[in-house]
Amino acid sequence: MNKEKHALKVAVVTVLTAVVVVFTLVIRIPTTKGYLNLCDVAICFIAFTFGPISAFLAAGLGTAIADLISGYAQWAPISFVVHGIEGLLIALIVRKQPLSKMRILLAAIGCILTVSLGYFVLSALFISTVAVAAAEIPPNMIQAGVGAVFGFALSKAIKRAYPPVSALSW
Amino acid sequence: MTVNTYLSNTGWLYRFDPRAKIFFLVLLLGWVFLPVTLAGLGCMLLLILFTALSNPGPRFVLSTFTSILPMIIFMVLFAPFNVRSGTALITIHSFVLLTEEGALQVLRLAIRFISITYLATLLFATTPMPEILLALQWYRLPYKASLIITLAFTYIPFIADGFAQIEESHRLREAGAHLERKRIGKIRSLIPTLTSSLVLALRSIPTLALSLELRGYGRANKRTRYHDLSSYRRTFTDFLISGMIPVISFLVFKA
Repeated sequence: MNKEKHALKVAVVTVLTAVVVVFTLVIRIPTTKGYLNLCDVAICFIAFTFGPISAFLAAGLGTAIADLISGYAQWAPISFVVHGIEGLLIALIVRKQPLSKMRILLAAIGCILTVSLGYFVLSALFISTVAVAAAEIPPNMIQAGVGAVFGFALSKAIKRAYPPVSALSW
Repeated sequence: MTVNTYLSNTGWLYRFDPRAKIFFLVLLLGWVFLPVTLAGLGCMLLLILFTALSNPGPRFVLSTFTSILPMIIFMVLFAPFNVRSGTALITIHSFVLLTEEGALQVLRLAIRFISITYLATLLFATTPMPEILLALQWYRLPYKASLIITLAFTYIPFIADGFAQIEESHRLREAGAHLERKRIGKIRSLIPTLTSSLVLALRSIPTLALSLELRGYGRANKRTRYHDLSSYRRTFTDFLISGMIPVISFLVFKA
């Protein structure tokens, strides 16, 4: 995308942020310290389709806004950092084309490790205890793993259903 | 889909300047991690709860507590067993189940967690989102960032409605087939719905970009603003209060 297209960049990040919020709030499974959701599906889709900057901003802002809306405001800063880094990392791994199976696997592993370890470290440090944070590692790994698989599937489906999407990444 | 976190009421916190409120929030979030006595931490929680009760009201206090209750239960049940040193409170034969230090530590962590939760949710319950964004801009949040957040809030209901309609139409086409599916099948059946919803959302990007350009975004002359924080006339006093309460309470309750 042209560097001068500021309005288009703002529009892309805005809509993708809203998409992450909706995906986060569509399916919510309550757990001991919050809920499981489809946010990782949206984040992985964005990272696979749109580039690192869009992925970082939309993932971070989208999950933080979803936390604020749903009454888990204390998690908003942690979600911003963890999911922002998740989006950025996946997008950087899958940036180089053509995309090999090895890099897709690497992106999925990066996604799982970032989410599970990120939430574990930050919530143990700032919000809860090591024991409580550790209990959330398995569900976070499942959520991130499912997110990586379905995010990649969605990315392929969207590129077929709506080809102009390729022009929106930078 | 409800995206508004603001709960309309008339308490003193509603009249507090949003800029001072953010300053107060940051100071208090730091305060709960300072080396203060357990009694001090308890007093601070009581002060926060009293503020919540007298501003958004009891319903807010209850709903916020309900949302964090599972985690508090988990914390109370499992965290004390990590601390093995100190005076034994509960023992089974020779095995120490709970120590005094463990119980005190979990109490401190639970109070801290509840305090953080109420502090964070109180800001958004007592301040409308446009005023939070104006206050953040006062703290030098870039214009582009506040524009994205504001626009995202208007797009969330649009995308959520689109998703609900598409999900409903997919369900009608499948005529009860989804009822027989197991969990994985149900998630897999979401793919066509999510794809259609995403295409709908992505199609709105060029329109939004065009409307931003038509409104002068990216040009030298900035857009007109009709909303500001000038109605808050006690900014200095509010900042003073925000600074004094954490400092005085730290001096009083320092461990």
